[in-house]
Amino acid sequence: MKKLFLIVSVLFAVIMSSCKKDEVQQQPVINLEKIYEGSVEGTGLKVELYSKQISQYAQYSTFWIAVKDAAGNPIQNATINVVPFMDMGSMQHSAPVENPSASAVDNLYKFSAVFIMTGNWALNINITANSQTGAVSIPLNIQAPAKPKVKSFTSSADGSKYFYAYIEPTSPVVGINDMEIAVFKTGPMMMTFPPDSSMTIGLEPEMPSMGHGSPNNVSPVHIGNGHYKGKVNFTMTGLWKLNLDFMSGGTLAGEDQYFEIEF
Amino acid sequence: MNKTIIFAIIILMAKFAHAQNEDSVFKDSSKIVDLTEVTVYNSKKVNKATDYFKSNQSATLEDIMSRLPELSLIKRGPYGMEPSIRNLSDGRINVLIDGMKIHGACTDKMDPVTIYIEPSNLKSLEVESGGTGSFSGSSIGGTINMKKDEPLLYSGKTFSGIVQSGFQTAAKSFYEGVQLNYSTKKFGIKGAATYRNSSNYRSGGGKIIPFSQFEKINYSLSLKYKLNERLYYLADYIGDKGYNIGYPALPMDVGFASANIGSMSLSYSDNSKKLYTWNLKVYANSVVHKMDDTKRPNVPMHMDMPGESNTKGFYAEASYRINRHQKIDVRIDASSVFLKADMTMYQPGELPMYMLTWPDNRTNQAGIAAKWNVHVSDKSSFMISGRLDGINSGLVTTESKSQMSIFGYEKKRNDFLKSVSAKAYQKAGKNISIISSLSYSERFPTATELYGFYLFNASENYDYIGNPFLNPEKSIQAELTGNYRFGRSNIKLTGYYIHVLDYITGMVNPALSVMTIGAAGVKRFEQIKFADIIGAEGSLFLNVNKNVDVVSTLKYAYGKDSENNPLVAIAPLKSIVSVRRTFNNFYVQAESEMSAAQNRVNKMAAELPTNGFAIFHLRGEYNFAFFKLNSKAQFGVENILDKNYTEHLDWGKIPRQGRNFYIQLKVAF
Repeated sequence: MKKLFLIVSVLFAVIMSSCKKDEVQQQPVINLEKIYEGSVEGTGLKVELYSKQISQYAQYSTFWIAVKDAAGNPIQNATINVVPFMDMGSMQHSAPVENPSASAVDNLYKFSAVFIMTGNWALNINITANSQTGAVSIPLNIQAPAKPKVKSFTSSADGSKYFYAYIEPTSPVVGINDMEIAVFKTGPMMMTFPPDSSMTIGLEPEMPSMGHGSPNNVSPVHIGNGHYKGKVNFTMTGLWKLNLDFMSGGTLAGEDQYFEIEF
Repeated sequence: MNKTIIFAIIILMAKFAHAQNEDSVFKDSSKIVDLTEVTVYNSKKVNKATDYFKSNQSATLEDIMSRLPELSLIKRGPYGMEPSIRNLSDGRINVLIDGMKIHGACTDKMDPVTIYIEPSNLKSLEVESGGTGSFSGSSIGGTINMKKDEPLLYSGKTFSGIVQSGFQTAAKSFYEGVQLNYSTKKFGIKGAATYRNSSNYRSGGGKIIPFSQFEKINYSLSLKYKLNERLYYLADYIGDKGYNIGYPALPMDVGFASANIGSMSLSYSDNSKKLYTWNLKVYANSVVHKMDDTKRPNVPMHMDMPGESNTKGFYAEASYRINRHQKIDVRIDASSVFLKADMTMYQPGELPMYMLTWPDNRTNQAGIAAKWNVHVSDKSSFMISGRLDGINSGLVTTESKSQMSIFGYEKKRNDFLKSVSAKAYQKAGKNISIISSLSYSERFPTATELYGFYLFNASENYDYIGNPFLNPEKSIQAELTGNYRFGRSNIKLTGYYIHVLDYITGMVNPALSVMTIGAAGVKRFEQIKFADIIGAEGSLFLNVNKNVDVVSTLKYAYGKDSENNPLVAIAPLKSIVSVRRTFNNFYVQAESEMSAAQNRVNKMAAELPTNGFAIFHLRGEYNFAFFKLNSKAQFGVENILDKNYTEHLDWGKIPRQGRNFYIQLKVAF
């Protein structure tokens, strides 16, 4: 009887663990929407593009790319370079982008782009994998979010234009929220946007309809790659304005900047 | 100078006999405890003290309390006044119904527990002041316990009842009441209902005070069953609903308020046993309270502010006679109070703004108390009592914890409270007795003081924020009472000193931005080193002759904090004198209420001085038979001179009722 119990338990454990493995393989795609599928011209490679939502907005947007060989096996160590691109006829420009690292996590390469305006964009992606190199251009229609999530100012310190994008909180609560924004400096011809680490940011949340703020906020400080992290406290739900002041080397680079958030 | 006058007056004034007879102290030393209790017995027995307190049949409990020298009332509206014992209120005192805890559901204290008891259901009102009043709950200010009437068991009548009706002119208010009692030898059931409906009242001089209306219905049902000669079972329910209750001193009214209060108890008494009485009660109650600003003009932003409280608890009390001279009372109790209040504000075109004003919190308490009564001789006795409480309090939902994390509050807290008091009775000479007491007590901070989230105080025009790191308040108190009896008359004088350590009060916090539109700033509850209240009360019951009685009370208190600032809401010198001439089945009674000005005000609390006043009332009562039924008509006029006045504890200096004629009829069958 004891033996039987032991056998059953072992069997159960094996079945459970194998089930788990399946789940792990499936997981990355769960909660993600496939928004593009195609092949890389001049190679036998296939790409799939994933996002948390089907519609894309002018905001800090994170994507996941899967690269597969002709047989459909995932490739773990592709080199990927993404360039967001907008052709406005009279001029072309790019947008801030954070390219993926060299190896995939759960078969996916994660990257982020900040669409600085609405309209028709392309993600121009160069892929090198299995000694093959090719490119794919994925069209995206970028819509305006309910409240602007990317804004810019011209620094009174150096005359350059800076873009700053809202990252967190994505699901705000009444209480303490992690707050994260990213700041990018505009490069020549608006074709590159190097991350900025030079700013000292002042944060002051405000409820415009009532004229009050909230206590004990932590102003975002630079944590790497142009990302600034702090804490924002909401004392109630409703429409909040997160007032931001950007200081650069002791000079006020951008003032009266803000994001609005409503929940 | 001032003081001399005060003391001179005190010596001249004093108190009637509380329903207590000083001599009884000798027979049963436990009565020492009752000496500071003022007991108002309901109807039946003709009791002049009762009539004095219950000035007329439709008097609310607030009217009665306002005539007790130990009590003052904080007024925010014509209804729902908050009692204070010697200028200590709210979390500093216990307000109990039959020993049960009930917590209001309103963050603005619009619903003190005293509104749930109609005087027609009241058997007695017990007030124990100071640290000696901690037997049934940790407190520093004392205890007000409202004892409810129980059903009668068979006493010659199976069915009995009372029907009452009344009208008052100042607020065009109606009062209707009915009580029915059905009983057999083993079983009694009593139902009662009271309906009050009041319009905006007319203040002295004729101005109508807007938003002073109210409507409420109170109903109760109780059942008593005799298990045997010594053991009774009692089940009791009180329901109370209020509608459209105006609060002229606040920016909003109450749309709807509801309370459900239930209990079951067993009580035993057998005087031949050592354990001669015990009482066990389990109870539960819930209060729902919804504030309403929809009827107010010029509201900058409409908001909903509902609140709720849920309390469960039990207590067991027993009295044990050690020998002829000593007895011990013991009480064990536990309770759990859940509170939640929130606020939703509506700005057109935006999502609603929602926050918790009392973030969901629960306070659990378990305590044990004992009193040792020693009857030393016919001339002296003493009592020593103590109480210990374990209290656990904290936020209970993710939502409330998340919100309060802004101020770094997360952990539950555990506290241990101690109270101890000693009281001695000494007869000095034939007619003089002296009662002295000394006590140390502690009290737990209130939910508002711990967890309140931008609660607006309309009197100070400040938002208040709780502070969960507050320590329990501690108090040392001393009290001395002298009682002089002559014939059927009696003078009583009491002096007391209350020293509160770690006194909790609001302090301006300039770092915080106001939530309420138009508020002057934000205060956080903090503790100052100490606060002192010194005061005196006097009462006189003078039996001039068979037909003329004089009852008079007087009180005065002086409060200051450790920075020498006057304490907020200290009632000024006040005296009530009542003279009654009794005829056969008729009496007339003339009364004066006089209050000195209060110029010692707390500027930090935006308190303003209040003028003194004197007002006069005339009352009469006529007893007659109506179809052979015992009937009573009462009539009178209050504030005869139509004086425009406010009391110092009235918020917003809203004038009180002007000249008011009233008439009520009561028929018993």
